[in-house]
Amino acid sequence: MTCAPDKTRILTVDDSPSMRALLMHALTAEGFHVDQADDGVSALDWLKENECDVVITDINMPRMDGFGLIENLRRDAIHDGRPILVLTTEASEEKKAQARRAGATGWIVKPFDAAKLAAAVRRVTH
Amino acid sequence: MTNEEIRTIFFAECEEALASAERALTVCQTSPDNMDAVNDVFRSVHSIKGGAGAFGYTALQVYTHGFETLLSDVRDGILPMSEDLLSLLLRALDLLGDHVGRALNGEPAPDDAAMIAQLAAAQAGNAASAETAAVVAAPVEAAPVEPSVPEASDPPAAEAESYDDLAFDLDAMLNDIATDIAPSKPAWRIGVTPQPAAMLNGGEPLLLLRELRALGDSTVRLDTSALPDLDAFDPQAAYLSWEVTLPGEVDRDAIEDVFGFSGDDLFVNIDTGASVPEAAAPEAPSAATEPPVAEAAPVAAPAPEQPVVAAAPPAPAAPVAAPAAAAEPAKPVLVATQPAPAAPVAAAAPAVPAAAAAPAAPAAPVSQSVRIDLRKLDQLIDTVGEMMIAQAMLGQHMGMHGLRNSSELAMLESLTRDVQERAMAIRAQPISTVFSRIPRLLRDLQASTGKNIRLEVSGESTEIDKTIIERLGDPLTHLIRNAADHGIEDAETRTAAGKDPEGTLRISAEQRSGRILIRIDDDGRGIDQAKVLKKAVEKGLVAPDANLSPDEINNLIFAPGFSTAEVVSSISGRGVGMDVVRQNVKDLGGRITVKTEPGAGTSFILTLPLTLAIADGMTVTVGSQTLVLPLSHIVENLRPGPSDIQRLGNGRLMLKARDRFIPVVDIARALGLDGQVSDPTQAVLIIVDTELAGQAALLVDSIVDQRQIVIKSLNANYRSVECVAGATILGDGRVALIVDIDGLVAAEAGTQSYREVA
Repeated sequence: MTCAPDKTRILTVDDSPSMRALLMHALTAEGFHVDQADDGVSALDWLKENECDVVITDINMPRMDGFGLIENLRRDAIHDGRPILVLTTEASEEKKAQARRAGATGWIVKPFDAAKLAAAVRRVTH
Repeated sequence: MTNEEIRTIFFAECEEALASAERALTVCQTSPDNMDAVNDVFRSVHSIKGGAGAFGYTALQVYTHGFETLLSDVRDGILPMSEDLLSLLLRALDLLGDHVGRALNGEPAPDDAAMIAQLAAAQAGNAASAETAAVVAAPVEAAPVEPSVPEASDPPAAEAESYDDLAFDLDAMLNDIATDIAPSKPAWRIGVTPQPAAMLNGGEPLLLLRELRALGDSTVRLDTSALPDLDAFDPQAAYLSWEVTLPGEVDRDAIEDVFGFSGDDLFVNIDTGASVPEAAAPEAPSAATEPPVAEAAPVAAPAPEQPVVAAAPPAPAAPVAAPAAAAEPAKPVLVATQPAPAAPVAAAAPAVPAAAAAPAAPAAPVSQSVRIDLRKLDQLIDTVGEMMIAQAMLGQHMGMHGLRNSSELAMLESLTRDVQERAMAIRAQPISTVFSRIPRLLRDLQASTGKNIRLEVSGESTEIDKTIIERLGDPLTHLIRNAADHGIEDAETRTAAGKDPEGTLRISAEQRSGRILIRIDDDGRGIDQAKVLKKAVEKGLVAPDANLSPDEINNLIFAPGFSTAEVVSSISGRGVGMDVVRQNVKDLGGRITVKTEPGAGTSFILTLPLTLAIADGMTVTVGSQTLVLPLSHIVENLRPGPSDIQRLGNGRLMLKARDRFIPVVDIARALGLDGQVSDPTQAVLIIVDTELAGQAALLVDSIVDQRQIVIKSLNANYRSVECVAGATILGDGRVALIVDIDGLVAAEAGTQSYREVA
């Protein structure tokens, strides 16, 4: 997997193919390098072999949900400083608090606005 | 990838989500406590909601939101699964399918108001009972129950510590940025603070909030900071206040009009927020997350401190007030995003701990897959077909130059076959996509017929061409309805006949020698042959003196215009059924046969090709014609000796093969061709299996070869022709007809009386 050195690398984790396609479309257009995983387990697998600068994850996913993914990543010294954004349709305060406890960096409610999402990524990476 | 393509992916996803939800609800039917299944339904609906928001299907999004909210209560164990609830969920799922279908076709959304209300009622019904419990429990001690706003309300929440609330909630934070990017008028910020006595004067802030929200995409913040402890709570006073944010585009006059009649009861502050608050009006795309009016907000905690009114329901729109409106900046505590419809805040409280313990997502097998537009796939299959023809032509050409046995040609042939098989495999889908709808169908049928029917399904993983799967739904549905309606008897009849009062319907699929075999077996009363025959004679379908074999009688049910149901029921039996079923199956290149045993049951057997596009065939010559016989029918071929042939009185020939007699069908005569050979000992006999008329020996001049044929539909290119299943292009470029062996043999071997029917 090659990628221009100056590009911010994003791993998006979402089980919905259309949401993945939308994210790929929007974030690539914003100049990011995008890789994708379809749930927490495949994201962890991918991260064993690859690197990224930011993780954007959904919450509701099969096999391993977003909370599980964040907790797993935060347990790992390599990932404990990595920005992890949660992108979800959930807007409840308790879920938000749960994500925060798990170690998420930020919370964005779907549907997302491409410019805002890009701004969020830039904010957490700079 | 264009937006349109992504949209296509979304609808494919919806379809999958709907099917998955349907499956999961079916599981709930048998095991209501299966939380994994409930979670599956939730996730399916949730995923549709996510996409609906992203693609701007607002009605779909609002509907899925209501659906999802109820499901999440079920998932979290707040709402127990019951027969009624399951039935509601199934109906809600039906409407969701309708919603998706209309969104796909660009039609207006269906009327879902009634269903949304039912979903809300189901949820609120539970909320109400929870609340009643709270009211009953609380007054006894008049314990200082905390005003039941969820924990999140404690302003500097215990855990908020090191995190900056705003920095975490990027959505809110980034609204500033979005505003920078797309400059627009500064948002309106409207503070609504009822005077303490507002409620006594008949003011109703809820209505005003609704009107405000109708003006545009809005955010409502509820301020509960003025809410006193329970013992100081006056149910008639107003304690709450709100801050509503509206887009700057909204006309100020429109906002002021809303408050035109509120007089002095409300303290209203309309602000052209130069400083956009944290939860500023979201820009259009994200605003869609705002569900319908958060009617929960204005409803304050019920007033449980009055034991006298323990039995009375709490005031529906409870008191609101804000004494210290100006004193200190109100601490917004609860951003109203959840549309808990009319559920008192109190009722929400018990939900919190349960919801927090959201179950871990169950391990569901996820297969790596790529979505392909079906059209592209069809083009691939077409091209593969053309390639096969080209390869056959090349082979023929090389043969003429004595190069038929070149190893390169053999390699090319084997590769072509590989490519073809792989291409076919892409189109194949497990038949479970059709079978998974059966439990639901049967459930409905049981409800309408009052019969008890057990379903046994097997072979769901059998794979078959997608087109066939799609077109299999109708005939299968019809056969199952028939079985439930006419085949299986009611419990009393069954008991009287010494059978299990519960009927059994078995559906199975398996792959057998290049074809798919689907069976629908019931253990019902079987076909009453005497009745069938009588009816057929009455309808003039057969001559009164016809002498039909049991199989022929059974086959009469497939005759056009035949119906045996004594009572034409709402479910099946309008007399157009079985012949349409047979035609559907035939159109798919398949066959349907029926076996029945009076009192013991009926079986319908469908045999279908694996694909519609390519088949193995044997090319034969008959006179000047080259014909193709589908290999799936062929048992063996032989050149008979004189003693193998028996001549019958009516001029018909029988082949004696392994102590059995098989009727000989002269293809040339049957199809009206000029046959070169009529003496069987000079010809080749090809023994074939048929569904309708057993075995037959087809008489042809010679066998040319055996090959894969690309089937070209005659229906599509010309018209349907009796006894011809289609056409193909041979290696030399000529067109050859593919013989419909079933049709041919049935027409030839059937009795005169039966032939009239068929």
